[in-house]
Amino acid sequence: MYALVQQRRFAQRRIIQKSVPLIPRYIICVAVAIFVLVPMLVAILGGFRTNADLNSAPFALPNPWHFENFAGIVTQPVFWLSFWNSLVVTVATVVLLLAISCPAAFVFARMDFPGRQMVFNFLLIGFLFPFAMAILPLYIMLRGLGLLNTLQGVILTQVAFGVPATVLILRNFFWAIPRELEDATYIDGGTPVDFFWHVLLPLARPALAVIAMLTMVASWNNFLLPLLTLGDQSTWTLPLGIMQFQTEHLTDWAAIMAYITLCMIPAIIFYLLAERYLVSGLTTSGALRG
Amino acid sequence: MKRREFLASMGGLVLASPLAISACGNTSTGSTTGNQKVTINWWFLDGQAKQNADWQNVAKQYMKAHPNVTIKTTIIENQAFKQKLATVMQAGQPPDIFHSWGGGILFNYAKAGLVKDLTPDLQGGWGDSFSQSALNVYAQNGHNWGVPWDMGGIAFYYNKDLFAKANITQLPTTWSQFLQVVQQLKSAGITPIALGEGDKWPGHYWWAYLATRIGGKAGFDAAATQQGAGFASQPFVEAGQRLQELIALKPFQKGFLGAVYNDEITAMGTGKAAMELMGQWAPAADEGQVPKGKTLNLGFFPFPMVEGGAGNPNDVFGGGGGYAVGKNAPQEAVDFLKFFTSVQVQRAFGKAGYLTPVVKGASDALTNPLLRDVQNMVAHAPYFQLYYDQYFPPAIANAVLDGTQALYAGTTTPQAVAQQVQAAAATALQGS
Amino acid sequence: MQLISPSATETEVKSERPPASPARSRIRRASIILLFLLPSVILYTVLVVVPIIQAAYYSLFRWDGLEPLVNFVGLHNYLLAFSNPVFLETFAHNLLIVALSLCIELPFALLVSLVIGKKLPGGMIFRAIFFMPFVISEVIAGVIWQFIYRPDGGLLDAILQALNPHFQGGLWLADPRITLICIFVVIVWKYFGLYVVLYTAAIQNVPDEIVEAARVDGATGLQVTRYITIPLLGTTIRLSILLSVLGSLQIFDIIYVMTHGGPIHASEVFATYLITYGINAFAMGYGSAIGVVMFLTCFVFALMYQRFAMQRDVASSIAMQEA
Repeated sequence: MYALVQQRRFAQRRIIQKSVPLIPRYIICVAVAIFVLVPMLVAILGGFRTNADLNSAPFALPNPWHFENFAGIVTQPVFWLSFWNSLVVTVATVVLLLAISCPAAFVFARMDFPGRQMVFNFLLIGFLFPFAMAILPLYIMLRGLGLLNTLQGVILTQVAFGVPATVLILRNFFWAIPRELEDATYIDGGTPVDFFWHVLLPLARPALAVIAMLTMVASWNNFLLPLLTLGDQSTWTLPLGIMQFQTEHLTDWAAIMAYITLCMIPAIIFYLLAERYLVSGLTTSGALRG
Repeated sequence: MKRREFLASMGGLVLASPLAISACGNTSTGSTTGNQKVTINWWFLDGQAKQNADWQNVAKQYMKAHPNVTIKTTIIENQAFKQKLATVMQAGQPPDIFHSWGGGILFNYAKAGLVKDLTPDLQGGWGDSFSQSALNVYAQNGHNWGVPWDMGGIAFYYNKDLFAKANITQLPTTWSQFLQVVQQLKSAGITPIALGEGDKWPGHYWWAYLATRIGGKAGFDAAATQQGAGFASQPFVEAGQRLQELIALKPFQKGFLGAVYNDEITAMGTGKAAMELMGQWAPAADEGQVPKGKTLNLGFFPFPMVEGGAGNPNDVFGGGGGYAVGKNAPQEAVDFLKFFTSVQVQRAFGKAGYLTPVVKGASDALTNPLLRDVQNMVAHAPYFQLYYDQYFPPAIANAVLDGTQALYAGTTTPQAVAQQVQAAAATALQGS
Repeated sequence: MQLISPSATETEVKSERPPASPARSRIRRASIILLFLLPSVILYTVLVVVPIIQAAYYSLFRWDGLEPLVNFVGLHNYLLAFSNPVFLETFAHNLLIVALSLCIELPFALLVSLVIGKKLPGGMIFRAIFFMPFVISEVIAGVIWQFIYRPDGGLLDAILQALNPHFQGGLWLADPRITLICIFVVIVWKYFGLYVVLYTAAIQNVPDEIVEAARVDGATGLQVTRYITIPLLGTTIRLSILLSVLGSLQIFDIIYVMTHGGPIHASEVFATYLITYGINAFAMGYGSAIGVVMFLTCFVFALMYQRFAMQRDVASSIAMQEA
């Protein structure tokens, strides 16, 4: 017996020695990380330099560090207005999207009714629709509903286009919740709604977090929809502000870099906060099970 | 119990409008004159920061004098403006006052009933105050669809210091002289021409001017009315050939095919290129890009004559800026336009170099000698041709823009370009 | 992912409480279903489906968006599109991006994921870094890379010149021959992190026992990867291919911001072509036809892919459902 264990241990040691050595793996990871980070660092560091610095030595550290680019931007009310608009739109989109998609996904996952698959497929076709194609009829639709030039219009449209993916991910996730939990609720005299609200949703946090994060990112960065539907500058969101700023500051690249850095930061913060849910949310959501 | 709460909260979420939006939400609709509160939406093009501020001051002055009027400005970059305007027009919601270059695109909107007919308002004093040729750019069949506030012509702006460096003592008056100047600049190691061909419209100026010099008014009118070979006729083919002579010299700045107009401004402002073929806003724009501590000495010369061309050397190709009024706009919008095109404002802006005045009594306000040159040029032009990409409906405009861009890239021939334009014209013009 | 229902029937165990009174609970059940479904379905139908159907309808007309919709031309717009060399070039560009993504972006992401593997210390940090570009806006990414690619003094030129003093400086985005490649680099930069996340998550699910058993049998690291890990990643890989192809066919923002589809159409794709020659050219019918072509391309691909490549995945997920 002991001999067998000995053999096993010896084999394991050999296994460790045989696995792919660490150093080349780190080299690859670091190289790719450099590729990913350098452009972002260019933007962030660029904001701290002057234009003349950037033109003479594009690839150098700020020396000295200039703060006037950033100062110039954060003191402008227009920047904060577009920031606020983006924030409002993003939060509202996420909340509304989850609020209407969770119930729908629950129904698809847990309740059978005639035509269920058909309705579900109907929703999924949304993946295949190019937004660009729908612009004009969508514009007319929003106009007819009185939603043009409003943040509500942007929000509702973003939610509508987010429904297919969200319902899909959530449905798969809800499938994974064990049947026993549901039965237990019913045995205790609960209704499906009770199950949904008190049991399912709390368990669904990872998936909800993933969707919230992905939706936040998409909404925060959405450019085309606000460009076409928001006329009044007081409603403009951040990406529109970038376009405006870039035009007004033409080749003051340093200022432009400062501006986009300020716009990037919130998105990166959202992301870092929700990152740990990302993998677990995607795994258990069964997105990988197909 | 629980379900009701749940429903209530969901309902609330779906119906509630998010926070601080209602204030910004409403667009103006038509309203009557009088002292009720009126809101006017004014879309104008993004200039440099100071210019934008001055423009907005006009609105502020007006609002002070008319407390019941609120003017909401939307300042938007050139390309984005074209995009957005197209969308709002197609959805039938024109802004109250919006920038217009006149020509076919404006007339299309008018045909669709989206633009206010200003003819009645222009009867009398207001109409008379304008230079007629400028006003005509916005008029069709006796109807005025917009008013100009700037009208100039395209010409060459050159860097005097760079020209001196290349020992150029005489400004070219013919095309072959011009090509020689280009070569002289190249030998001196200077980039001869700044061109933002990525935007397509700057490049089409060259082709159009050559066609204007070669074919003259007669040639253009014949083509526009589809006589003979239309746009596939000789002047337009030869324009392409002449342009190719220039392109073969490789006179443009590096990466010009992908460069946008803003890059052209920068190239001129930082002294990286010696000259550009541009409109009357160019000196002010270039000036804005001059690095601190440096100066830019710009000179002016008109587009040279092409040897053997049938056009008049004084013909001018160009355009300007104007405003049109949306169909739903309140009468106050027209009133504001009257103020905007008043002599005081024209004089102030002329002095600042933002525009070439189109209103009588304002022309001598120009202090910038370059703009005075432009003004002279336009005033003495027997034939004035509006930019092709505005004059024509979009289908033809696109054919011109794409065709000329391909010429610059060396992927097409002059004949092919002319034929492309003709094909587009044949389809587009047959209906009207 | 079940896009379109295959012929397989699902038999899901109904788990609802025993009805107290059949009729009332049927109504109650129906009302729950309706209530839960209606908001999303209505919003989606009104703002997504109806506009798309309208757009498809417009594609049968010649219409400038301004005048009344009267000029019915049937399939003429489609004929125009397919006989237009620029449009065909555009189609080719989309297909090229699809091909490049499948041959370069996905394998690259897979390689990186395998390198991170299951247990690389700090692997999670790397993954977080790689995903970051996904999070920033296309407009920002476009601006940053425009700065990098700037001819005459951009960052890329500066780096290359530092490495090789003889380097003349490239045109990058302004060069019609390589602009699409330059854009593709940006696409990879921005999106490969998503696939890395998907793949690493799936790699976490590879059971240790199998790997150890193989090792005990003498398999090298590479053999383990080739014969065990990758096959187990099959579902995820197939999913990533689907996402990648659909994404490549619909790509818009990043190209529009960097080059607008130029120079001379060298980077034109469906969406930029639609905007420039449809909407902005007041040719709404034509633009809508392009949109329909885009949609059909995606649809046909998704359908065939689902039928042939993902059939197993679909079947197994149904089986798991029934369990």
